[in-house]
Amino acid sequence: MRRFWVLLRKEIKELVTPQILLPFAITIVMFMFIGNIVGSQGTEAQANRRLALLDLDKSAASAALQGAVEQAGFKIDRVTTTDPAAATTELSGNGGTLLLVVPKGYGASLAAGKPAPLDVYSVIRTFSFMAGQDSSTLSAALAAVEQAVARETVGGSAPNLDAAFLENPLQVRDHVLIGDKQADVSPDVVMGFITSQTTFVPIVLFIVVIFAAQMVAVAIATEKENKTLETLLAMPISRPAIVTAKMVAAGLVALLSAAGYMVGMRFYMDGLMKGLGGAEGAAAQAASQAFADKLGLTLGVGDYALLGLSMFGAILVALAFALILGAFAENVKAVQSLLAPLMVLLMVPYFLSLFIDINSLSPVARTLVLAIPFSHAFLAAPNLFLGNTGAVVTGALYELAWFVVLVLIAGRIFSSDRLLTMKLNFSRKKRTAV
Amino acid sequence: MGDILEVKDLRKRYGQLEAVKGIDFSVQAGEVFALIGPNGAGKTTTLRMVATILQPTSGAITLDGIDVVKEPAKARERLSYLPEEAGAYKSMKGRDYLKFMAEVFFEDPADQAESVKAAGEISGLGDRLGDKLGTYSKGMTRKLLLARSIMTRPKLAILDEPTSGLDVLGALDIRDTVKEFTRHGMAVLLSSHNMLEIEYLSDRVAIINEGVIHATGTPAELKARYSAQNLEEVFAEVAR
Repeated sequence: MRRFWVLLRKEIKELVTPQILLPFAITIVMFMFIGNIVGSQGTEAQANRRLALLDLDKSAASAALQGAVEQAGFKIDRVTTTDPAAATTELSGNGGTLLLVVPKGYGASLAAGKPAPLDVYSVIRTFSFMAGQDSSTLSAALAAVEQAVARETVGGSAPNLDAAFLENPLQVRDHVLIGDKQADVSPDVVMGFITSQTTFVPIVLFIVVIFAAQMVAVAIATEKENKTLETLLAMPISRPAIVTAKMVAAGLVALLSAAGYMVGMRFYMDGLMKGLGGAEGAAAQAASQAFADKLGLTLGVGDYALLGLSMFGAILVALAFALILGAFAENVKAVQSLLAPLMVLLMVPYFLSLFIDINSLSPVARTLVLAIPFSHAFLAAPNLFLGNTGAVVTGALYELAWFVVLVLIAGRIFSSDRLLTMKLNFSRKKRTAV
Repeated sequence: MGDILEVKDLRKRYGQLEAVKGIDFSVQAGEVFALIGPNGAGKTTTLRMVATILQPTSGAITLDGIDVVKEPAKARERLSYLPEEAGAYKSMKGRDYLKFMAEVFFEDPADQAESVKAAGEISGLGDRLGDKLGTYSKGMTRKLLLARSIMTRPKLAILDEPTSGLDVLGALDIRDTVKEFTRHGMAVLLSSHNMLEIEYLSDRVAIINEGVIHATGTPAELKARYSAQNLEEVFAEVAR
């Protein structure tokens, strides 16, 4: 056991190098930086939401329209010209993005019960999510004005008619059922909430599993390439200890990186929500959380432990798999090609879980997907939200079974000549006498 | 002194190719025994089997009374192996590498410190032991690895081309060190293409070709048997 710890310490030191730490740290800092930038930009954009207004009508109705726009959070910039074409030039020159032109006759048209024209000019300079936020807010404000005008008009000309009925003759009430629990909420809201809570789990899992697999495969290939493997194998350290030390070291570094990525992603997501949603977004998120609580869509400590166990199981399977693949590698360069089968096994459940419900696949397709050990880690979070704890436990046990089998195979390879004599050459098969 | 290593009817097959075809030899404590032969003769395969990193197809290897095939873990505590073209962990410092090796072999911190100190002296690397191995020249790395392979005072040191990559003075230092350690009872199983080195270091020599040992004896015996001026002529005679 003493020798195992000595070897484990050496393996960790070998892995935790500036070459590994620097990209890792840069990635986390980058996520935090992007989150911060998006968050602060979003807050700033909301605080400085500007609209150029060219009011050619100067009526009470146009003044009411301006009031509604201001209420929506826009600061009004007065346009110095009365020519709409010149106003658009002025808008572009000032770096503005929105121009609302109220043509002459706007108020008269409304009073006559005719559609009143309004011109909205949007200057598009980027195609980012945030670039469209101001236009969406303005559309919402104008829709509110439209609704108010419609109600006032209907109320004035046909007092017996209910304006609300004319706007929405059907009163659709959404109810969502999960198990024996029910909430009066749209399924879109529930889906959106769960997606926001679990989106980063498969992404982090994918990154970390690939990272861990690469580390352990590269560790073996490096021993071969640097000609240290023979010395290591002739030392009084048992082969299972060598295998375990390499896997544990890579697993620990991978877990550490997973925690780092989670923190980075959290900052990123928080920044994104703050930037795109602002206070209204936060309120909507809180409302969604309340509905989720009512539907039992919350994870307790035990659920998080199971989720962690399932993810750890996937990492262990990937490590054992990579250890075997690494044993075939002649050098570090060959590792990338050799890890291709592992990448495919990871990508299938990863992409499927992003777009479809694996549980709703046909029995054959579902069995094939569930036969991949990594599928269970990708399904763990949605299963836990739905209370399918048994499926998560079964999945974790399945991962464990895979891990045991793969470790036994790895142990056999490391205890035999194969580690030195076996190599995969994709161009041609060659056996070299030693 | 008695035999520390005994090899009997040792064979190794890679698929259709039989690399070692039933060889026998023994090495006594304090003796330097050399295996010489052309490339592909089966030298490295033999050394790897004795070092427990390849499993023989058949035959027996006994090291200090231990069956190497059945109890490789015990055998590894009594031997050290310096492979040809061996490397070291480039991100480690020289002294840390020696410490790592000492910690694997010795439990007592005092023994660890003593062996690291001895290895530092054997390597002659001085302050450079504080530098990372990635900055070492080939010769410096070889000196460090050789120091590592004898610092644990193994019963048997298996040295494959021990002075490969070293300059003349470095090679002379290493040969003297190996000689010095054998005087304290360490046995050496040696392979080299440098016949001068073999003649200087070895007590006995076995000439192997195509997996078969063709002749064994002291350098003087072999030279007399083949009426040769030196071991190179003996080697050429047997290899042809």
